[in-house]
Amino acid sequence: MNMKRLERFLAALLFALGAGAAHAGLPEHRVFAAEGERLLLWVSAARGRTEPELHAAGQLAARGVETWSVDLVSAYFLPQLPRSMDAVPTPDMVDWLRAALARDKQVVVYAINRAAVPVLRAAAALDPAERARLCVMLAYPNLYTVAEPLAEPEYLNFGSLTGLRVRVLQPRRSAATPWLPGLLDSLAAQGVAVRHVILENLREGWWMRETPTEFEMAESRRMHELLLRELDEWGCQ
Amino acid sequence: MKPGMLGMIAGVLLAGAVQAAGFEARPATPAPDLLAQDLAGATKTLADYRGKVVLLNFWASWCPPCLREMPSMERLRVKMTGRPLAVVALDSAETRAEVDAFLAKMQVGFPILLDPDGSNTKRWKVFALPTTFLLDASGRIRYVLTGPTEWDEGEALTKIEALLAEAAAAQAR
Repeated sequence: MNMKRLERFLAALLFALGAGAAHAGLPEHRVFAAEGERLLLWVSAARGRTEPELHAAGQLAARGVETWSVDLVSAYFLPQLPRSMDAVPTPDMVDWLRAALARDKQVVVYAINRAAVPVLRAAAALDPAERARLCVMLAYPNLYTVAEPLAEPEYLNFGSLTGLRVRVLQPRRSAATPWLPGLLDSLAAQGVAVRHVILENLREGWWMRETPTEFEMAESRRMHELLLRELDEWGCQ
Repeated sequence: MKPGMLGMIAGVLLAGAVQAAGFEARPATPAPDLLAQDLAGATKTLADYRGKVVLLNFWASWCPPCLREMPSMERLRVKMTGRPLAVVALDSAETRAEVDAFLAKMQVGFPILLDPDGSNTKRWKVFALPTTFLLDASGRIRYVLTGPTEWDEGEALTKIEALLAEAAAAQAR
């Protein structure tokens, strides 16, 4: 066993010994159970799971949307950096998606920023029939391989994502907003049926800003409403 | 210690290393086109600054690091009065009203250019804010900085002074 595998094994062991490991082999997640027909898989960004996200997950469950919340940097003992998301084992994510699909609910994955990477890798590894049952909402996804000043952007290639339905939630106040068309084109070229919505007057990570605006604070408190609205308007339900 | 805590510590250490990267030197790269209106509605291009060292800063009013470095850009402008340096700040993909609202709170003496449709931001391939380009007096890109700095001191001032000295030497030849 090499050092990386040993570290991963020890990290998994620690979590398995800890409280509430949901399923062996799956990333540690918190379950907000609900009786409704929708299941939302909430994948936090590299800064980890925040209190407003947990609040929103609880509110979604109270409104009938079962929510599984995962913090991948903590689950896999990774530094809180966007690129850490690239190190999340795809087979674990595939197992997680399959466990969700087995619940016989409409499964929607909600991934934030670079957390889109392990989610899309896993979606690409699913069978086409499984992938067609999945909906994915990506909040300001970071799918760059190269994003250097003066250089053309390059995006990750996930292989075939044919049949996958994706809705991108893009805050207007983001350096990525002018680049959104290129990102959408890249996803469409990989077979994604992609749509997007611009979130006006919001910045990336509006719920965890050091100096939030009044509007951002209000939107943080009602983040569950935003997600419900997007789910309903999108029609992926 | 919890694994999450260890991850956080590693993250902080690694994030510090990224920030320390600082100015990126470029081998006298030709600059993309700049075509933007100033607050008076006049169209500006790089030709308007030919013969001067140019500090071209891409910013937005919603970006805290951008706002943190602006006072130092203003101090630099004042410090360099009478010398061939142009400090230019291009607002990325915001409306005129948003820029005006910001300038009502922070007054600056350097020109503000508008890029409401983000076309300049895309031509210059700016993916993070602030991003600043230092151009030599021939209009070529010599340094790129992603992230904020104190422009009137330290490494930033040293690099600007070097470009000014280079321009002066070329003019003397």
